[in-house]
Amino acid sequence: MLRLKNGRIYDPAHGVDGEVRDLYIEDGRIVAAPGPGARIDRDIDLAGRVVMGGAIDLHTHIGGGKMNIARALLPEDHRQDPVPTSGGMHAGCGHAAPSTWTTGYRYAEMGYTACFEPAMQPINARHTHLEMGDTPMVDKGAYAMLGSDDFFLRMLASGADQRLINDYVGWTLDASQAMAIKVVNPGGISAFKFNARSLDLDEAHPYYRVTPRQVVQALARAVHDLGVAHPLHVHASNLGVPGNADTTLATMAAAEGLPIHLTHIQFHSYGTEGERKFSSEAERIADAINRMSNVSADVGQVLFGQTVTVSGDSMKQYGNHRHASPDKWVVMDIECDSGCGVVPFKYRDKNFVNALQWAIGLELFLRVGDPWRIFLTTDHPNGAPFTSYPHLIRLLMDKRFRDSKLDEINAEAAAHSQLRSLDREYSLYEIAIMTRAAPARSLGLTDRGHLGERAAADIVVYRDDADREAMFAKPEYVFKDGQLIVRDGKVVNVVNGALHVVKPEYDKGIEKPLKDYFDRYMTVRMEHVRVSNEEVCTCGASKLIPHVCKGRAA
Amino acid sequence: MRRRETACLARHIGAIATRMAWILLNTLHFSLFESSISVSSPSVCCPFCGLLCDDLEIVREGDGVRLERPACPRASRLFSIPDPGQAMIAGLPISLDEACRSAAIILSGSRRPLIGGLGCDVMGHRAALSLAEKLGGVVDHMHGRAQFRNVRAFQDGGWVTTTLSEVRNRADLIVLAGTDASRYPRFFERCLAPASQFGELTRKVVVLGPALSIPAMDGISVSSIPIDAGRLGELFAVMRARLAGMPARAADVAGVPIEQIEALLADMRAARYGVLVWNAAELDFPHADLTIQSAVNLVKDLNQATRWSGLPLGGDDGGTSAAQTCTWQTGYPLRTAYEIAGPHYEPLLFESDRLLKTGEVDALVWISAFDPERTPPAADCPIVVLGRADMRFARAPDVFIPVAVPGVQHVGFLHRMDAVVALPLTAPASSSLPSVAQVLAIIQGETNHAAA
Ligand code: SF4
Ligand SMILES: [Zn+2]
Ligand SMILES: [Zn+2]
Repeated sequence: MLRLKNGRIYDPAHGVDGEVRDLYIEDGRIVAAPGPGARIDRDIDLAGRVVMGGAIDLHTHIGGGKMNIARALLPEDHRQDPVPTSGGMHAGCGHAAPSTWTTGYRYAEMGYTACFEPAMQPINARHTHLEMGDTPMVDKGAYAMLGSDDFFLRMLASGADQRLINDYVGWTLDASQAMAIKVVNPGGISAFKFNARSLDLDEAHPYYRVTPRQVVQALARAVHDLGVAHPLHVHASNLGVPGNADTTLATMAAAEGLPIHLTHIQFHSYGTEGERKFSSEAERIADAINRMSNVSADVGQVLFGQTVTVSGDSMKQYGNHRHASPDKWVVMDIECDSGCGVVPFKYRDKNFVNALQWAIGLELFLRVGDPWRIFLTTDHPNGAPFTSYPHLIRLLMDKRFRDSKLDEINAEAAAHSQLRSLDREYSLYEIAIMTRAAPARSLGLTDRGHLGERAAADIVVYRDDADREAMFAKPEYVFKDGQLIVRDGKVVNVVNGALHVVKPEYDKGIEKPLKDYFDRYMTVRMEHVRVSNEEVCTCGASKLIPHVCKGRAA
Repeated sequence: MRRRETACLARHIGAIATRMAWILLNTLHFSLFESSISVSSPSVCCPFCGLLCDDLEIVREGDGVRLERPACPRASRLFSIPDPGQAMIAGLPISLDEACRSAAIILSGSRRPLIGGLGCDVMGHRAALSLAEKLGGVVDHMHGRAQFRNVRAFQDGGWVTTTLSEVRNRADLIVLAGTDASRYPRFFERCLAPASQFGELTRKVVVLGPALSIPAMDGISVSSIPIDAGRLGELFAVMRARLAGMPARAADVAGVPIEQIEALLADMRAARYGVLVWNAAELDFPHADLTIQSAVNLVKDLNQATRWSGLPLGGDDGGTSAAQTCTWQTGYPLRTAYEIAGPHYEPLLFESDRLLKTGEVDALVWISAFDPERTPPAADCPIVVLGRADMRFARAPDVFIPVAVPGVQHVGFLHRMDAVVALPLTAPASSSLPSVAQVLAIIQGETNHAAA
């Protein structure tokens, strides 16, 4: 048994806010304090240290076909950050589009123990699991993308019963080994294949005549009925378009009270005020989130520097290609299933739009009152590489630091922004909520993201440094399932995480029309789209952790 | 320092290199997988060209298997079971153990080996990268020359591309540039002949170059415009200029009359979903990457008004999987060396033939498990071949190790040419031969011994 003594514990799931306590770990789990005389094999004194659960990133593009496109596209970026073989660790590359190995090591070195790939195309699921299988250290999971796939749109257009849609969504989660459902530019990826360049929430799809609103509603309902813990994960229409805040608010309302998660909401909080017809609507969006308890969001914070944007939103990425830096970009139509777009991007602090995007993200963090419903993301790598999280945490926790950065950005953007008037500084407790307890709760990971008895012993120990960036960049210890994996911000023990999936109940009868559809129109058999439980391990996950869903009657 | 957890045995053959262990794993691996193949679906995936058709019916015949349906000459030839094979050192029979040890000795003494060919499945590619990392080797695929024509165009400007089912359902105008797709025997049957799910689709196929073997298809018109493949770039450049509103001054371009170009361009602009198809392997002339770049730029420009996509044919002999696996593990799509500072990518310098000619590599591991005709290139350095059992050599390599054929004799994963679809390979004629991954793991284990 391992004892972590005298640490200051931040465990929001149990309301513990910096109390000094001991933690006991046995067989990979946190256990109750044993009676006197129990054998302690190892004791670590953590006096003065900050102790939290392992961090969980619920939206990070760690793997899958479009990330591999981004990697292949950017040798010049990798060259700035080569990673040598060392000890048990593989060589690779870092920065904007890191290799799978390096992704796992660097997440662990920041105290993350679980990462969720938010945009797995079902037709690309096997490939995604192969990549995640080569992403060490952390637990993984993926959200299956639906909403622009032709089978779904056909069903919706033909007025199919919601129960049938639920079965199809259930089948997709099961067959692609997914943890949740994401919809990206609802119906829009498909509309782009019919040459539409935009699709508003209530605009009819050029072929199916259904609207994005209907897509969101049918999918949100299905996710809810199937009992999937994580709400429908929505990348709303009109990504990055000035004035899109109205669409974003309307999308929240479209859920009609059902749980809904709006992702990278920073990219969806834009107005059209001012000379440049680009302004912050962070206040209006944050107010709506504060008001609607069924809504959660992650921010997708922009930080300055070179990165690459990767998205399933082929329509909007095509529209963004003019901004590509360096000037190259990839758009793909994918298998009557989805699409993708990869556009390298350099966010510049002296650029008005980029500077305002930076300020909008921070405003959202500071204006949303409930840290249980707003998550810390950069939408890696879209707003910035995940390795910038410690810097972002400092921006949230340290107003003086934030204001000093505000002084450096484009002066006009700084003047437009109300950021300086926001005095809020996140506490360690709130950081622990938004990076641990809340994502675990949102995903239904009952034994992660907290430090209670029987929780998986994913534990991070930080030195309490006033420079929060330095503190969060280099944890003193990271334990994964009870094993010490990182010491002083460096991997000391290479492990491989498990794959988390949901296994909802659904009527397998859906395979009949689905198989017929695949045989008739696709170049792949339905049976081969399905990734079996055994394959997940062959792909590389240490094990498969299925989460049961409690279906809610339709 | 511990490597990775080993709860999932099949993945971790790399850590276990004794002969008993791999025989054991071989059987375990099969049983794990067979449970995943639904009984109601006997259809098998074909690994023998980049189309990866997954609708094959295979029947057992004697010790091996035979392709029952559909008709594909390439698949028929390659599914037929090779003889059991015999490990050899300099052409003389030897045990598998001895052959692996011999290979390990050659590689332990090498300063920089080329791990080439890479004709295997993803598990083989993982093992090949692991070995290259351990030995400080370079990796390149046997079709690297063709692959890198595409990669160079891609890394320079990106592109807009599509996948096979999109072509099948949407394409109304298909322009084949410098290819008639005949190297992909079922391309038309799989991607163009069937009906679209979006209702009536009038398809037109235009071949730029000789249209030698395009099958007659109901309701699909086929025409061709004779042009030398080496001059396609000029044609595309003029088309782009016309799209940009510049006047055409010449009477013909690359021998094609300007009226014909104008007519084709008008058709292309009128297409609802056009697809420009090329096969980099057939664009075999100097600076063909620039031709590909002009093609993808034309596709980009056409998208300003209507929808167009490129479709690069390719991916034979596990080429797509090799590039994908190397990309996620290192960041680079092959032609990468494992050096002290990390993976080093040099797409021009790390070309197999060049490395062998200049002596910049001093050993070659040639992996070719799909097609016995893909034998190693001539080289002055020691050669270790992991090949199909029926591979024959003009000159015996230093070491030959027969391996199981992925998708026939062992299970695995393989990517289709569009890289989106990775399919499960089955083992309709499972064999006692080891897979590429297993042999490489044994060799890597033996080089551990040599190091110790
Ligand atoms: S076309 Fe290619 S993949 Fe299809 S059956 Fe023939 S060889 Fe196999
Ligand atoms: Zn998104
Ligand atoms: Zn995202």
